[in-house]
Amino acid sequence: MDFLKKYIFPLLTGIGVLAALLIFSLNVPRNREANVIERSLLSVLSPLLQPVYRISRFVEEIRDSYILLVDTHSENLSLRENIRVLNLQVMEGNEAVLSNQRLELLLDIKRSVKEPTIAASVIGEDVTSWFRTLVINRGSSSGIREGMAVLSADGVVGQTIKVSSSTARVLLLTDHSSGIAATIQRSRARGVVKGKGEMLCTLEFATREEDVKVGDTVITSGIGGIFLKGLPIGEVTMVKRGEYGIFQTVSIRPAANLSHLEELLVVQRGGYE
Amino acid sequence: MNRRATLLFFCVILASIAIQVSLLPVFLRPAFKPDLLLVITVFIALRGSFETGAPLAWLIGLLDDVCSGLCLGLNAATFLISFLIIKSVSDRLYADSAILFVLTVAGVTLAGFTLNLLLTVIFTTSPGIAYSMLSDIFPRLLVNAFVASIVSAFPGFDCHLEAS
Repeated sequence: MDFLKKYIFPLLTGIGVLAALLIFSLNVPRNREANVIERSLLSVLSPLLQPVYRISRFVEEIRDSYILLVDTHSENLSLRENIRVLNLQVMEGNEAVLSNQRLELLLDIKRSVKEPTIAASVIGEDVTSWFRTLVINRGSSSGIREGMAVLSADGVVGQTIKVSSSTARVLLLTDHSSGIAATIQRSRARGVVKGKGEMLCTLEFATREEDVKVGDTVITSGIGGIFLKGLPIGEVTMVKRGEYGIFQTVSIRPAANLSHLEELLVVQRGGYE
Repeated sequence: MNRRATLLFFCVILASIAIQVSLLPVFLRPAFKPDLLLVITVFIALRGSFETGAPLAWLIGLLDDVCSGLCLGLNAATFLISFLIIKSVSDRLYADSAILFVLTVAGVTLAGFTLNLLLTVIFTTSPGIAYSMLSDIFPRLLVNAFVASIVSAFPGFDCHLEAS
């Protein structure tokens, strides 16, 4: 009995280990089937596991949806800000490219004009719709005087009027008060380009005998002293010769897009005080 | 007008000029640009006194001319004449009425157009302008009346210039 008392613990441990090994060895061939012990334990645990699993899912959901999203929200804001800044940079880049293209064209014109020129930007338009004038950001302090030619990259825009120290008004060639001595480039027929208001001009005083055709390019004749000879004014869009009268009716579409002018060149030649 | 009202009025006129010259042309076709200074002149004619209003109407017209066309004094004369006509009858009318304001703006737009047309055809060498003016008058009339109706909805519309 003393022996048993003395070695009961190692003995039971050994039996337990043997039993465990026996159970293990017996279950090795049937490792895909649940035995009695497994089935009993699963049956007991299943009612407990289900709510615990639900609770843990709920906690996980809270963690993912709220606790972790605190950072997500601030990250989202930061990313939105980044997108806004990048969009702005892209827009500025595009605008710079377009501006560069316009200025390159303007520079080509500047090189071709033999007189000194000064670049100006459009800062305003006429208050009423009856007159066609623009306001530019250069005035007498930049050497501009009334009666100087104003050009865009595409051709003649008009002439300066009402000059102040820092601004000047430009009378567009489409204004009813505007008149520019012109020549048809192909046939050298002469006339005066008068404004007709809504983005149109006419070539007046061109006699019926003059050779003018639709598509002809109209250029400045240089007569009058304001515009240099050979600057493009526009293109003939209609020619009408009536049965009577000594002149023909010639409509011209200006070469410059007068409704979208931004940068202009003022030719510093002539002008009057 | 007290100093505060004068300053406010000055700011409104300057803002109107800036809007008409630099802002609206970018977004609107010329024919659909409202004549804000004309609307202000009508407001003065209906609400202000003769002594303050008459020189103010002329000055506003002059300001309009500075920012428009070639003929300095054209709109000044038109605005002054329009002011005098409105002022001569405004005492007998319910000048606080928003509908009257809108109708008067429309009427002054038409009257101003007629006067401008007469003056330019008589005194200038660009008779072709009549065509541009005629083609624009209908949208101009509608736009001005629309702006007047918006102005009449402003909170300060009920105030009288001399009292403010």
